Amino acid sequence: MAKAIRRVKPMEVPREEQIEKDVSEVKEAVADNKDAILKGIKLLKALEEGGTLDSAYAFTKKKKEALGYVANELNREQYTPLIENLPELIFLIGELDVKSLREVTERMNQGIEQMNTGDPAAKTSVFDLAKALKDPEINRSITMMMQFLKGMGRQ
Amino acid sequence: MLEREHTVVTINEKEYLADPGQNLVELLNTTDENVPQICYNESLGPIETCDTCIVQVNGEMVRACGTKVEAGMKVQTKLPHVHKAQKESLDRILENHELYCTVCDYNNGSCEIHNTMAEFGLEHQSRPFEPKPYNRDESGSFYRYDPDQCILCGRCVEVCQDIEVNETLTIDWERQEPRVIWDNDVPIDQSSCVNCGQCATVCPCNAIMEKGMEGDAGFLTDQQPGILRSMIELTKKAETGYGPLFAVSDTEAEMREERIKKTKTVCTYCGVGCSFDVWTKDRKVLKVEPSAQSPANGISTCVKGKFGWDYVNSEERLTKPLIRRGDSFEEVEWNEAIAYVAERMKEIKAEKGADDLGFISSSKATNEESYLMQKLSRQVIGTNNVDNCSRYCQSPATKGLFRTVGHGGDSGSIDDIAKADLVITIGSNTAESHPVLASRIKRSHKLFGQKLYVFDLRKHEMATRADRFYQPNSGTDLVWLSAVTKYILDQGLEDKTFLNEWVNGFDEYRESLEPFTMDYASELTGIPKEELIEVAEEIASFERVAICWAMGVTQHTLGSDTSTAISNLLLVTGNYMKPGCGAYPLRGHNNVQGCSDFGSMPNFFPGYEKTEDDDVRKRYEQAWGVDLPKEPGKDNHQMIEAIHDDNLSAMYVMGEDTGIVDANINYVTAAFEKLDLFIVQDLFLTKTAEYADVVLPASPSLEKEGTFTNTERRIQRLYKSLDPLPGSKPDWEILQLIAKELGHDWGYEHPGEIMEEAASLTPLFAGVSYERLEGYNSLQWPVAEDGSDEPVLFLDGFPFDDKKAKLFPLDFELEYKTTDHYDLHVNNGRILEHFHEGNMTYKSEGITRKTPNAWIEVSAELAKERGLSEGATVKLFSDAGEADGVVTITDRVRGKELYIPLNDNGKLAVNFLTDNSVDKDSNTPAYKEIAVRMEVVKKIGKSPIPSNNHRRGNPVPQISVQVQKKWERDDYEFPGNQVNKNG
Repeated sequence: MAKAIRRVKPMEVPREEQIEKDVSEVKEAVADNKDAILKGIKLLKALEEGGTLDSAYAFTKKKKEALGYVANELNREQYTPLIENLPELIFLIGELDVKSLREVTERMNQGIEQMNTGDPAAKTSVFDLAKALKDPEINRSITMMMQFLKGMGRQ
Repeated sequence: MLEREHTVVTINEKEYLADPGQNLVELLNTTDENVPQICYNESLGPIETCDTCIVQVNGEMVRACGTKVEAGMKVQTKLPHVHKAQKESLDRILENHELYCTVCDYNNGSCEIHNTMAEFGLEHQSRPFEPKPYNRDESGSFYRYDPDQCILCGRCVEVCQDIEVNETLTIDWERQEPRVIWDNDVPIDQSSCVNCGQCATVCPCNAIMEKGMEGDAGFLTDQQPGILRSMIELTKKAETGYGPLFAVSDTEAEMREERIKKTKTVCTYCGVGCSFDVWTKDRKVLKVEPSAQSPANGISTCVKGKFGWDYVNSEERLTKPLIRRGDSFEEVEWNEAIAYVAERMKEIKAEKGADDLGFISSSKATNEESYLMQKLSRQVIGTNNVDNCSRYCQSPATKGLFRTVGHGGDSGSIDDIAKADLVITIGSNTAESHPVLASRIKRSHKLFGQKLYVFDLRKHEMATRADRFYQPNSGTDLVWLSAVTKYILDQGLEDKTFLNEWVNGFDEYRESLEPFTMDYASELTGIPKEELIEVAEEIASFERVAICWAMGVTQHTLGSDTSTAISNLLLVTGNYMKPGCGAYPLRGHNNVQGCSDFGSMPNFFPGYEKTEDDDVRKRYEQAWGVDLPKEPGKDNHQMIEAIHDDNLSAMYVMGEDTGIVDANINYVTAAFEKLDLFIVQDLFLTKTAEYADVVLPASPSLEKEGTFTNTERRIQRLYKSLDPLPGSKPDWEILQLIAKELGHDWGYEHPGEIMEEAASLTPLFAGVSYERLEGYNSLQWPVAEDGSDEPVLFLDGFPFDDKKAKLFPLDFELEYKTTDHYDLHVNNGRILEHFHEGNMTYKSEGITRKTPNAWIEVSAELAKERGLSEGATVKLFSDAGEADGVVTITDRVRGKELYIPLNDNGKLAVNFLTDNSVDKDSNTPAYKEIAVRMEVVKKIGKSPIPSNNHRRGNPVPQISVQVQKKWERDDYEFPGNQVNKNG
């Protein structure tokens, strides 16, 4: 006569036995993945030596809070232009004609160099200006500037 | 040869051949032309709300999805103004939808807004996102609605109104800020929503989303609301152009692929056989995602398949085998349990013979497991005492079809039911028992002029939708069916050619119909004669008639005969051998069809080959290397009887809560108590398991591979979504261990090998293989060796020697009647949201909070007579036992009919009341024939149906989303016109 029952006596596995079972499971996994584990240890060592392991550990533990701080902080108004400018800046870099820019920069540097050699107290009269136009270097600069102005104003 | 109509269309100067009347967007999608589209979805058809698929047709800008192809049409998709109009539409969508993809749970590579914008190359948002003045609705159990993310594409409305046809969702276009509303604008939880989840499935973004996904799908989405908001703001600020934003979010989506597993499975609830991908993260089920390629269901699901998976991770799962010792079970290791089981079986067999053992398979088990159960029984033990739970439901239907047409399965597919001109359902609460299949009928009826006749005791949902609805007296369906058939013959309305060419036994059958006059039928069924005549004339007039039936027919003492009468009627009217018609005994459980197909039956080997057939037996004897018993064994019912008669002392029940689901459970459990050895294999310590000597913890469908066969005879593969819960094992592995311990080392390493063996031995499944069933592929038996299957049966004749069907003569004698003492009739059946005895669905908190228990449905008349009010408590007494429960008063039942949902294993378990009467031909319990008397315990109380149950909702039927109301708004202008005007 088997009456309906619901009582279940749980199996009692002694802790040592359970540990032994778990350890053998882990052992097997280690043996199966020997190379990966050894590499993993190397990686850990490298991280530890560089001091990165501690930071990574701390960051992982506090990942949610950290992300929250960053998100909250970056949302403050003072960063808005910065964040908005960042991607713009990236696009700007893409659009710039870097080759020409470099040329212009070179010339600008030459100009600055030249400027530094002159007497800062010296004055220039209209006559000097007209005379200067005849100097091929100055004339080339002025012509370039005028072309630049023309281009900048183009719609 | 017929000249095919040619429709040549020019798209961007290239010519294409289209089908006449084809939708233009559908055609465009078959070409390389890339046209954006968001509201269009092939399963839903055109909705025309999003305007993004604007193209130029013959010089004019139109929505491609709203345009039908015509010959000579000239289509331009790339002109600058077309592009501009498309862009305008996309901009309007982004006004309604905030893009924060990286921190969005929907960012899984399938967000259609994300993908459309990225593909279009939209770089900037012209107008800022505008939040709507509504809160998120998180009131429901399973999904939530976020108006701020909703782009008002109306897919959810379309699917709710015209695919699921539950008619809960609409968009209120009239208000200042339109939004999706439930019923007449009530919270989701208070509405008529049945939680089929299809709105969440079709939503192109994260507006309607499964709650299981929230905070779980993404790497960065599990944040407190405040922080999440900050991250959304941050994501938005950084998005100068969408390009970089998409790059980051696409990377994150790819990372999710690593972590979220998507596995195809087949639903484990009803017999419709829905298939879908299950998304899991570790052991958590995130969501269920059906797709257009799911052969039985397409994008559809019901609440159980979409959301009812909590039982898999229930705390109550068994994880160690149990052996009864004294007055409690002891947990033991597997090797001990298997050795114990084998030893005890061996002893009993040696002492009392093989036929003293019995085996019961379950519809929850796979085909492979059913095959192994009968192999264990026949090969290892040597008895034909093996059966399965279809004995409880559809064996009579199988019987009726074997008698007449030769195959015990649906004549066609669900598609054929949808295509029929007339669908008749008899004794089937289709909308609740086979919800996804019912939706196909509801859709055809609502949109395509299909006619629907319902014969049922209860005015359930299908009844309220029907063109004709009759409530014949209980158990009298055979009479009206026969009378209608007779009338059709009397009037010469039968399909004479069909009968002459394809049907035997006409004369004898014709004679047997004599007693079934219209007057007789009217008297017995209570349906007026004139109405029955109209029914007969109309049935005869339709080209394609499909008849669906279920437990309301089969669970009667004349279940097999009534099923036969249905098939007779179909033969007389020529409704076999062509698509869109035939017999559909709707199978109740996921694998009730397959469990019988694969041999867990006392008289059949797999594929319905008789054990008495010497050739067949020889085939198996050769394959299995043993002598096999010839005489049919005992079915479920006979096994229980045999226990009481001391002729059966050991029983092995796999995955079936027999002690709840069998009729007359007091009698059944008394039998369990008498067993010398009772082995129960299940997920839980069920009521049945409480009587066991050994309980073996099994794994559910999500944790194993195998195949199920649905009501369409469709064999489908399920893959392993999760590893078995540690300690539990799939049934096939357990059976194999036991067989091995008993000296038969089967050596299967994968269920595919079991199928290979079964297919090699069973002509019906000759061509079935796992390769042919890969992914969403399926096969509908019979499957020939070359892999060709038969979605529609009998196209080349019937499986008899001369290929002709048989008319089977019947008579009628009504034995059952209520008496003065037992004056009420109890009917019982399913409800939508719970399944069977509830072992699985009651584990779902989301379901249980809305439907915590079963109830007793009482008619208003009876309530008045007995002085009952809503919430009253009553006790019911039958000859077999008693049950008690809480009353709800409803017009779903009438007069002295009561209805009890069978999904309860407490005091209201209906099988306390059922008795031992059975269908005379198949031994299926006559569950539906219970006479009871009622005693009132308390006259009034709290309604058993909570206020947030969908039955209390108020659906708002309409066709589609009514986009014209959007177009009529003052603030709406067709983007094409706007572009033309503004240049």
